[in-house]
Amino acid sequence: MNKFIRVNMTTLKVTTEEVPAKYAGLGGRALTSNFVADEVKPTCHALGKNNKIIFAPGLLSGTSAPNSGRLSVGAKSPLTGTIKESNTGGSFSQKMAKMGIKAFVIEGMPTDDKFYVIKIDMNGVTVEEAPTEILGGCGNYEAIRILSEKYGEKVGIGVAGPAGENRLPSANISFKDPEGNIRSAGRGGLGAVLGSKKVKAIVIDDTGAERVSIADPEKFKAASKVFAKAILDHPVSGQGLAAYGTTVLVNILNEAGGLPANNFTAGRIDHNDNISGETLNATITERGGDGKVSHGCHAGCIMRCSQWYPDKNGKYITSGFEYETIWGLGADAGIQNLDDIAYCDREMDDIGIDSIETAVAIAAAMEGGLIPWGDGKAALEAIKEIRKPTPLGRIIGSGTAVVGKTCGLYRTPVVKDQAIPAYDPRSVKGIGLTYATSTMGADHTAGYCISGNILKIGADIDPLKKDGQIEYSRAMQIGTAAVDSTGMCLFVYFGVADNPGGYQALIDMINAQYGINLTSEDVDKLGESVLKVERAFNKAAGFTNAHDRLPEFFEYEPCPPHNAVWDFTPEEIDEVYAFENEEATNC
Amino acid sequence: MVDKDKKTIEVRGFLQLDAHLKKKYGSMPVIMELKEPIRGTELAEKMEVPWDEVEVIFVNGFVQALDYIIHPGDRVAFLPPGCPGPYRIAMGFYGKNQGNPASFKIKERQ
Repeated sequence: MNKFIRVNMTTLKVTTEEVPAKYAGLGGRALTSNFVADEVKPTCHALGKNNKIIFAPGLLSGTSAPNSGRLSVGAKSPLTGTIKESNTGGSFSQKMAKMGIKAFVIEGMPTDDKFYVIKIDMNGVTVEEAPTEILGGCGNYEAIRILSEKYGEKVGIGVAGPAGENRLPSANISFKDPEGNIRSAGRGGLGAVLGSKKVKAIVIDDTGAERVSIADPEKFKAASKVFAKAILDHPVSGQGLAAYGTTVLVNILNEAGGLPANNFTAGRIDHNDNISGETLNATITERGGDGKVSHGCHAGCIMRCSQWYPDKNGKYITSGFEYETIWGLGADAGIQNLDDIAYCDREMDDIGIDSIETAVAIAAAMEGGLIPWGDGKAALEAIKEIRKPTPLGRIIGSGTAVVGKTCGLYRTPVVKDQAIPAYDPRSVKGIGLTYATSTMGADHTAGYCISGNILKIGADIDPLKKDGQIEYSRAMQIGTAAVDSTGMCLFVYFGVADNPGGYQALIDMINAQYGINLTSEDVDKLGESVLKVERAFNKAAGFTNAHDRLPEFFEYEPCPPHNAVWDFTPEEIDEVYAFENEEATNC
Repeated sequence: MVDKDKKTIEVRGFLQLDAHLKKKYGSMPVIMELKEPIRGTELAEKMEVPWDEVEVIFVNGFVQALDYIIHPGDRVAFLPPGCPGPYRIAMGFYGKNQGNPASFKIKERQ
């Protein structure tokens, strides 16, 4: 991958350069975050001309490595004001890698009101006016169908939905998956950044592209085999996720008393059986038709944690029906009917709005009296307002923090204005530390992977106690930043966490592809360096340690059934990033 | 809250054990009579839940090893291997499952 492409939307000019030397060894999040830190003014307005948005495949994307087709998208976030890396499946990343494109950047903004489609193929990059039929409220499913018809069924597509066109802070970027359905770079409002640059869609056609070159094909093949085995032999990644999806967590978190309910006023619900992964599986199986219990979000996915959820007649409603969405609407907003939640999920995908942020915003709107508690039909109608957008739609589409302020709530579950997802920080304290300190705002995926000795980190953890939690959160954030840079799905961690051979195989694949000799220590250092760069950007944007705090209500509102409160002191929280002032080391 | 005067326990099963217990007992949760304390392993046997399908058990919302003592009034759940990684650490599985052959120990470590 040696091409670094920039599209300037002020001039509509395209430049293709060699990859700058300083980015040569970087991919995915490591590349997007370093680029944003280098070229985006930290104090700029995220929707102004000085923000830039970058798309980058991971180090292993485009190869035959299992689960390596994730794409990183980076910019300054209009939701949080921090640096942001948002990550997605689909086919975009692999096509970029095969075409030798290390990064694709959109900068500047047009002075007129036209929306554009950027087309990338082996002949170069063109900027065309967007077809009118995909603008002004056209849903993403239809927009992807129209663009595929125009540019070819096999093209990759990234699109800003109606929420992105209207520059709402929760807007995501929706990506076409292998079957023409939708995957999302969900969090942080990067769809609004795309909309601010008047880019409706990016279309990528890899026809004529060569295969990604591998420095040592035999070594790569051997490592890839070990890696695939580590994933498939594991009960989580080989069996659990494929059968029940991420929604397997509903019953587990509910039992642990860590399933936030009714706008974070409790940690357990009674209707968990209605919305559990087990019920999801049974419902899809029973209904048949278009339903699929297991499905991959990108070619080469062997875990297949996604699914197609059908209606009572077997007709497709939605896919990628994730735990956090089902939790947000089902537990936090108290909607007890899984079909109602599925229709909300489809609508959010079609509008192009982050389903975590919006689900938590809906729950806050229920507490604020804008929507009746637990009313799935009313929630769907409120979400539909975002498409138009009416004033209510704009409020909900602006995220939980705005809904909380609009409704005069003190119980507004956000960190750096990003909604706290599906794990109550009072009952699962280690994840609370990650919410508080992540460079991205409250983000469960910021703390997903440990690259070091998991037993050393995890043996003494008690979810309600402080012991070991600082080390846990730190190690998780460092490991995640590293894996996010490989282009690997974070869920590979489930398969390699307990298996040193599996983790080494991941590193061996990178070494074989590039002809280098990284060690696991190097990968740890890469993770640390990414976090340091992100923290430095946030500091320059005006963030301090005082922003690394959970909302105050967690300190004095006990969470039943364990009745735990958030009791980390500011000094303890700041320990998570104690390493940031250590001297930088090579990576 | 645990009711010490109760002579029953409330039992749930997750992942594949959800369907297993629903089929065997007709509903979820299963209300079992229990007059004296019992080990998790014994309860599993009594309910025909294979040990190798249980990584940890929940007792009153806390993760425990499979041989943990269950008392009348407790709320119990059997959890097979299948809970995604970071949450297994965050909820304390690693302090409880190391003696259990159904934990995620990889062959090299066994």
